[in-house]
Amino acid sequence: MMRKIIALCLSIGGILSSMGAQATQAEDIKSFTLDNGMKIMVLEDASIPNANMYLFWKVGSRNEVPGITGISHFFEHMMFNGSKKFGPKMFDRTMEAAGGANNAYTTENLTVYTDWFPANALETIFDLEADRIAHLDINPEMVESERGVVASERTTGLENSNWRTLQEEIKGAAFRAHPYSWSVIGHESDIAAWTQEDLVQYHKTYYAPNNAVVVIAGDVKLNEVKALANKYFAPIPAQTPPREVKTVEPLQKGERRVFVQKASVSTPNVMLAYHVPATSNQDYYALDLLSSILTTGNSSRLYQGLVEKQVAIEVETYMPMSFDPNLFYVMGVANPGITAQELESGMIGEINRIAREGVTQDELEKVKNIKLMNFYRAMETINGKANTLGTYELYFGSFDKLFNAPEAYNKVTPEDIQRVAQTYLRRANRTVAVLAATEESDQ
Amino acid sequence: MVAGALALSGCAATTTSQTVDTGSFSMPAYEQYQLANGMTVYLMPQTEVPLITVSAVVRAGAVKDTTSGVANMTAKSLLLGANGKSKSDIEQMVDFLGASIAADAGKEGSFIDADFMAKDTDKMLPLVRDLLRAPDFDGGEFDKLRQREMAGLAQEKESPRVVIHRYFDKLVFGDHPYGNPASGTRDSLAELTVNQLRAFHKSYYQPQNIAISVVGDFKPGEMKARLDKLFGDWHNGEAIAKQDLAEGQPSLDASKVLLVNKGDAIETTFLIGGKGISRNNPDYVGLQVVNTILGGRFTSWLNDELRVNAGLTYGARSAFTPYSQGGVFRISTFTKSDTTKEAIDLALKTYSRLWQTGIDQPTLDSAKAYVKGQFPPKFETSEQLAGLLSSMYLYGFDDSFINDFQKNVDGLTLAETQRLVNSYFPQDKLQYVLIGNASKIADIAAQYGEVKQVEINAVGFSQ
Repeated sequence: MMRKIIALCLSIGGILSSMGAQATQAEDIKSFTLDNGMKIMVLEDASIPNANMYLFWKVGSRNEVPGITGISHFFEHMMFNGSKKFGPKMFDRTMEAAGGANNAYTTENLTVYTDWFPANALETIFDLEADRIAHLDINPEMVESERGVVASERTTGLENSNWRTLQEEIKGAAFRAHPYSWSVIGHESDIAAWTQEDLVQYHKTYYAPNNAVVVIAGDVKLNEVKALANKYFAPIPAQTPPREVKTVEPLQKGERRVFVQKASVSTPNVMLAYHVPATSNQDYYALDLLSSILTTGNSSRLYQGLVEKQVAIEVETYMPMSFDPNLFYVMGVANPGITAQELESGMIGEINRIAREGVTQDELEKVKNIKLMNFYRAMETINGKANTLGTYELYFGSFDKLFNAPEAYNKVTPEDIQRVAQTYLRRANRTVAVLAATEESDQ
Repeated sequence: MVAGALALSGCAATTTSQTVDTGSFSMPAYEQYQLANGMTVYLMPQTEVPLITVSAVVRAGAVKDTTSGVANMTAKSLLLGANGKSKSDIEQMVDFLGASIAADAGKEGSFIDADFMAKDTDKMLPLVRDLLRAPDFDGGEFDKLRQREMAGLAQEKESPRVVIHRYFDKLVFGDHPYGNPASGTRDSLAELTVNQLRAFHKSYYQPQNIAISVVGDFKPGEMKARLDKLFGDWHNGEAIAKQDLAEGQPSLDASKVLLVNKGDAIETTFLIGGKGISRNNPDYVGLQVVNTILGGRFTSWLNDELRVNAGLTYGARSAFTPYSQGGVFRISTFTKSDTTKEAIDLALKTYSRLWQTGIDQPTLDSAKAYVKGQFPPKFETSEQLAGLLSSMYLYGFDDSFINDFQKNVDGLTLAETQRLVNSYFPQDKLQYVLIGNASKIADIAAQYGEVKQVEINAVGFSQ
């Protein structure tokens, strides 16, 4: 869920080998940790007169409990609504008057704030961020207006996105214990129910400097960043680390199914979701490559097997980076005249074929090349650099892993792809969701 | 809050202009020349990553459609096979290199864009040539593509946000070519034949009507030789008929409301606006600044009133979309069905502030800083820069747009903003498109003008 409608699209790719001489190298990234536990990474890059600050907070919907679902995302919104020095509305007004823009996004695992600005506004950005981290003032009137905004965000997502509609239902069925069960935006009734106390407590617990990683990339100097970090962030006290998420989702022992009816859906949509391990698991790389083999490019398995054969008009896969074991999603949109059942068995048939017969060396080589292109694209902008560095730092434990990824991807063999398909993409581990104008009858 | 506001502007009570220094930014070095056959070439080396983007733009889009959608289907069909390589051969090769290639058409241009690693230039450039010069237009593949596109058009109507602009253009421009949806309609695509694609290709895909931009990690001398070899022997066909798009645009003499019924809608998605400006309008940059204040950023009047103060929506915006000889201006937002009237009225009231209270100096200074500060990241990647060069060719502006941008922004005065407001923002006879549940909002729609109601799943984008 994002705070603003302006979408940020970025693909995070792994890298393989033979990085260009000019592309960013591991040694270009400098990092230091303040006494309060806040880690700051800096990448100097003067290609445009701009810079970015990304603040990654280790809080997302996985840190919620029933009754306050969606609060992480709602809180993301509240972080813009006034603090001690910069009152309501002044965060955005001050930033924009200095030439900067911002956004933020919340996932199941993280809340990330993004500031994009001309490099000479750097001190203003530090001032703004430090004030809201240390001294957020949660104004009850602002809370009420923001509830309306988030309710609208929820509604417009359901109105305009079949993916969103299906994902909300499939998560609820695939997880019965772990907090990945609910959508990041939360249940409608919970959005209406947060109290002032919930919000105050959430800020204190999760927005502590020891719970954050900051990345600054662009036309800045390390020394300048260090001096400003010491001036603005260092005085903010550390807090007791938040409670750990201890729930482990019990093993799924059989296929689960959900159906969603929506009159305006022109042809059925089918989503499959399979339980897969956390990103830190060594199978991440093989699963990520398998995802590309299935749907990246028109030569991919599901495109060839379904779109080319006029069973589907669209197929997609998605595997989010994740702290805890999560889901591998596959979604298809039926061609007119094709039933949900036919589409579903087509999708499953292609997946099972990989589990049964494996993939070719060429196919694997192809998706490794695609990963390399994605990496270069991410490294072409200061925005891509900041987001990718922080993401690797959080999900793999160190940004160094970004630069070790070549080896990790290169080690994956066709046998690994077949093994992960057999291990994870199997019936008992699967939840199926169907979206259609009408439910097929029993007869 | 008040103290904060004063501290921010520092001079809220004065009218002294404050210029914010956002650093200097200029057009990266590039070369522009023409091949002997008239094809325009732009070369811009960029070496940060070992990638190359090649963008070709053909000066022909939906405004040239004889059957709706022919420009777009011609562009998309380039990828169905060319010069002895089948669709599947092309896809296997492109994917194997990790590269990507895409083609489509907009209102006034048809585009083919390729992205690849520099080491694969010798494979990808000849492919771009084949697709542009020698597409097969295979009938079997075309039938499949057409069927997917027709199904896709029905599916796009499930998302009001995706299709609402097509209804709006049709409402504003009617039968004028600017009203043509590039996508075509389900009925028009059903009529299309491969021969029409061949004819479209023959008429417009000629070197005299094309620019090719290469941006990325290459040596200009070598690239020139390659391009000359690939495109130098391509001959022009018949002369291309001139089209005066300034002619025949309907006048908007009354407020009209197009109500698009989506029976299961849980919110109303709407646009309000009218005619806009051409891309070559000398006030283009100034209008971007003024529009930033109205609806072009988070603290804009529209977003502040509808989202921040009222909590009616997740976002409210406004924008000018310019074409070569005309354009549209529109305010866009959405709200739950029950608050439709409240949101439309608040949008209109907020819009009227342009004339009623006008813009003050601190707000103008802030907007100027914002558009300058957010400008360089729009032209950071090879893909973005290639897109810029294609637009320069298509709309006839030059790199002074980049190099004079800051100066033009800084030079905008308060008095100028008022002239821009009075000259360009449509003040009355506004046009409305509302997509929502008609049983809940038809009475509301009638309060803003003469209503025409259509069903969203009906074919096309009717007025």
